[in-house]
Amino acid sequence: MNRYEELDHTADWAFRAFGNDLKELFENAAYALFALEGALDAQSTLTREIRVAGIDREALLVNWLSELLFFQETKRETYQTFNITKLTETDLEATVHGAQTQPITKFIKAVTYHDLKIEQKEKSWEATVVVDV
Amino acid sequence: MISKHDLQRLSEFVWQVPREYRGDMRAPARIWADEDLLDDALQDKSVEQLINTATLPGIVKYAIAMPDLHQGYGAPVGGVFATATSDGVISPGAVGYDINCGVRVLASQVHANEIRPHLGNLATTLYRNCPSGVGVSGTVNLYGDDLDDILNRGADWTLERGYARMEDLPHTEEYGRIPYADADMVSDKAKERGRDQLGTLGAGNHFIEVDRITAIYDEDAARVLGLFENQVVVQIHCGSRGLGHQVCQDYVDRFQRVVKEYNIVLPDRELVAAPFASPEGQAYVGAMGAAANFAFANRQVLAFHIRRSFAEVLKGHVKNFDLHQVYDIAHNMAKVEDHDVEGERMQVLVHRKGATRAFGPHSPVLPDDLKEIGQPVLIPGSMGTMSFILCGTAGSMAQTFGSSCHGAGRVWSRHRAKKEIRGEKLRAEMQERGIEVRAGSLSGLAEEAPQAYKDVARVVQVVDAAGIGRRVARLEPMAVVKG
Repeated sequence: MNRYEELDHTADWAFRAFGNDLKELFENAAYALFALEGALDAQSTLTREIRVAGIDREALLVNWLSELLFFQETKRETYQTFNITKLTETDLEATVHGAQTQPITKFIKAVTYHDLKIEQKEKSWEATVVVDV
Repeated sequence: MISKHDLQRLSEFVWQVPREYRGDMRAPARIWADEDLLDDALQDKSVEQLINTATLPGIVKYAIAMPDLHQGYGAPVGGVFATATSDGVISPGAVGYDINCGVRVLASQVHANEIRPHLGNLATTLYRNCPSGVGVSGTVNLYGDDLDDILNRGADWTLERGYARMEDLPHTEEYGRIPYADADMVSDKAKERGRDQLGTLGAGNHFIEVDRITAIYDEDAARVLGLFENQVVVQIHCGSRGLGHQVCQDYVDRFQRVVKEYNIVLPDRELVAAPFASPEGQAYVGAMGAAANFAFANRQVLAFHIRRSFAEVLKGHVKNFDLHQVYDIAHNMAKVEDHDVEGERMQVLVHRKGATRAFGPHSPVLPDDLKEIGQPVLIPGSMGTMSFILCGTAGSMAQTFGSSCHGAGRVWSRHRAKKEIRGEKLRAEMQERGIEVRAGSLSGLAEEAPQAYKDVARVVQVVDAAGIGRRVARLEPMAVVKG
């Protein structure tokens, strides 16, 4: 299974992430975010604990990805591996591994709710996300 | 998907989606375009996004799309709509993440041929003095309450600290200071993102460009603005940086939590809204104003760096290189304004996302020297092509809540541009045409290739012909500086 695919969007970027379960889906969505930024090559040298809440599954996905962008910008870090340790309908906890910022080719400003979808397919999960660049 | 057959043609350049088109519309939607620009807009979800804005509670008259309309998220880029402040909503997603993204134009008294021998040096110096790109800090260190002070007072702060001249402020929308800004409504996270970003350009489609004026369409307005043919001018395009992005993110999330309490049903969660008069609505108004002040201050500090770069390179070689401020406009913003609605004067909140305020002559908000010509409207084109300076008109007041277009508008996705355009080749082509390019990222350059955009001359022609703006001058690039 591919972890994600890039989708066409006129002004911004969009991607579809895949996962065997919701945890993997959320992890792969985070992977897609940093893959699109071209920020995955670095050796992991640091660890960060992430905790976010949201009113529902979709809000949780937006807030999870947004929190990673917040740390990326303020701490000048990028992340390569994502391990979600707790996931309910409204709360998420994760440990992520990354490095001090390597040169990034692109920068994502924000994660939007536009066309946001989390869907259960026959044997897997898919999420469609549009980001502002 | 909507097609041309669903539209009523009201005049040569105005097309209407009737309210009956979709059951949830509270007002019709109107598109300003010629047939080709309309065909472009109908290819993606722009018009559907426009129709979505027409469902927002309290919308008055009609939702509006400018000729540079293209698909965004929530509201389309090039979208304008007004909601009544009495019983209407405010939508952070319809303002966008880059709050008060905008354009500033500075003008020298120098002819283009005079700076030609120094152009390479000037481009390099601008690139060095104006921090750009991803994760690059600004040169202004903020202490104590400085950041809150900037958020509350915008350009006034930059004047006190020596980054602005007194005469810059009247030539800035809102005099560079949104009066209802409230730093206390901005989260600590947003402040943390902005703290080291004052006076930085950022990445993406933001740029600094040295241009020369290649056409004057309105001699009188040009004289008032101090513009003449072959003159060297500078454009700055950027916004409120990470601080604004976080403010939008915070309030889109906060509004998701309350939207049900206010019984607001939306076709797109990104359009999430709360009543303007509600505590949540007012909190966002204060935070948005604060982010807008940060953007005004940001462009002012960049203008300061550009002025010192011109002095560094040109002093002793050319006379009259000093730069006066032509104007500074916001093109992602919601503003409380009074407009005529069905014969009555009414206070409304005008949301402009990728659209520019374009107040006509004699507007009380304009400084005396601009009263006769109307508000300057600054329209950057796609990279390496051309840009325009317009003025607002009585027509924009009557038809579009005093609004006009903001740029060329994309037609290709960034994905397609990246696949089809090579940054190195594009840079070489521009260099061959005598345009100096200083860019941090070549793939970023490729995404902004002119092929990815509509023809800005055509967009501006429609604006001019439809009477919602009046062309004053055309600018063509000499040097481009990007993150």
